[in-house]
Amino acid sequence: MNREEVKNEFKAHLITYLNLLDITIEQIKDNEPLFEGDLGLDSIDSVELIVLLDREYGIKIKNPTEGRQILIDVDTIVDYIILNRTK
Amino acid sequence: MFIKDFSAISPQLTFSEEFVNGDYKIHVNNTYTVFEPSYAETIPSALLRRMGKAVRMGIGAALPLIKRNEKLDGIVIGTANGGLENCINFLNQIIDYEEGTLTPTHFVQSTPNALAGQIALMSSNTGYNVTHVNGALAFENALLDAMMFLEVRDKKSSLLLGAVEEISNYNYNIDQLAGRYKVAKVSNDKLIQTKSNGSVCGEGATMFVVSNDSANALAEIIDLKQLNFPKESDVKNKLDQFLSDNGLTYAAIDLLVLGTNGDIQFDCWYDTVKSFFPLSTDAIYYKNLIGEYRTSSAFAVYLATQLLKGELQNHPGIEGQLTKIPKTILIYNQFEGVQHSLILLKDVEL
Repeated sequence: MNREEVKNEFKAHLITYLNLLDITIEQIKDNEPLFEGDLGLDSIDSVELIVLLDREYGIKIKNPTEGRQILIDVDTIVDYIILNRTK
Repeated sequence: MFIKDFSAISPQLTFSEEFVNGDYKIHVNNTYTVFEPSYAETIPSALLRRMGKAVRMGIGAALPLIKRNEKLDGIVIGTANGGLENCINFLNQIIDYEEGTLTPTHFVQSTPNALAGQIALMSSNTGYNVTHVNGALAFENALLDAMMFLEVRDKKSSLLLGAVEEISNYNYNIDQLAGRYKVAKVSNDKLIQTKSNGSVCGEGATMFVVSNDSANALAEIIDLKQLNFPKESDVKNKLDQFLSDNGLTYAAIDLLVLGTNGDIQFDCWYDTVKSFFPLSTDAIYYKNLIGEYRTSSAFAVYLATQLLKGELQNHPGIEGQLTKIPKTILIYNQFEGVQHSLILLKDVEL
């Protein structure tokens, strides 16, 4: 799976896990901050994202500092998935 | 206690004026799902995307009342199961992911008090906030709580009082296997006459603004009585006492609103209670409109309030005998012969 495919797959998971009503994959920008941008995600969503990474990619984020460096935008998360996924 | 305002999201078009104007929706499956309004203009999308159906329709029914009645002293909700679908999703996750990391949203939305909490947050209401979860008497407990709250207040006070229940497909299948629902599909206009085992599954959110102030009131809730595991003679004795306590005779009741639901195993309770009253006493049913669920008596109060206002005369969905605009209404409901309730309402002009 190339980077573009991983990115689209992650965006699809994002829509499902966070139940982003009326949002399409195309509308989620790669470099837009997830928590301060148009998506308007909050702290509960960050927990949902951590669960998403665990369930779909086998990535466990246990360190909050590490989480803050990864859960910035789609690009940073996809980069981390490609490097660290176990499934 | 006086009803000042009310709203309902139900399997009929009660959220708009269509139901009152004579519309009667026919449901042909044994799950009577609600007609939900568009929430886009009233609930922020960031909140809406997380809400389960019970919370969503509860807030949908409550917000217009909060908008029209700003100074509410508290929120009292009755719900037997709360966000049932989210609860089951959460429990399934525990199994599917072998007790690993679980998502918070299903859990947060499944708690019965999620609705009262969310309404309080959205309306900045820091007053009394209680959710009652006593099975098929959850609404009655909420009603009793509201009556006691308002009774001890010296000044004019008001509360948001309501009930909510949602259909969960997963839970429906379990209850279906347990024989709670009919095997054959029954159209709701035939439900009351269908004497077979089980009933049909309904859902809904019903909200009221109740107050100890009679000004501009729509109806008055005079009294209520709850019974658990009664014998037939207990119901008669309690009913005698209930009417006597309120200075009424059987003949003084203009209208009985009965929770008959087509289940041959338990409808005998309603037939028995009806037999205590004179043949001339009007009696109507309401579960052909909304199906069976544990807080359906809240919808019966909604219906009674409409009837006391003089509405729903000659309505195609009102089954039974309704010969006049009632002044005094007695609601009798029971759930599988275990939890029973009596709610007495009167016209405010009396």
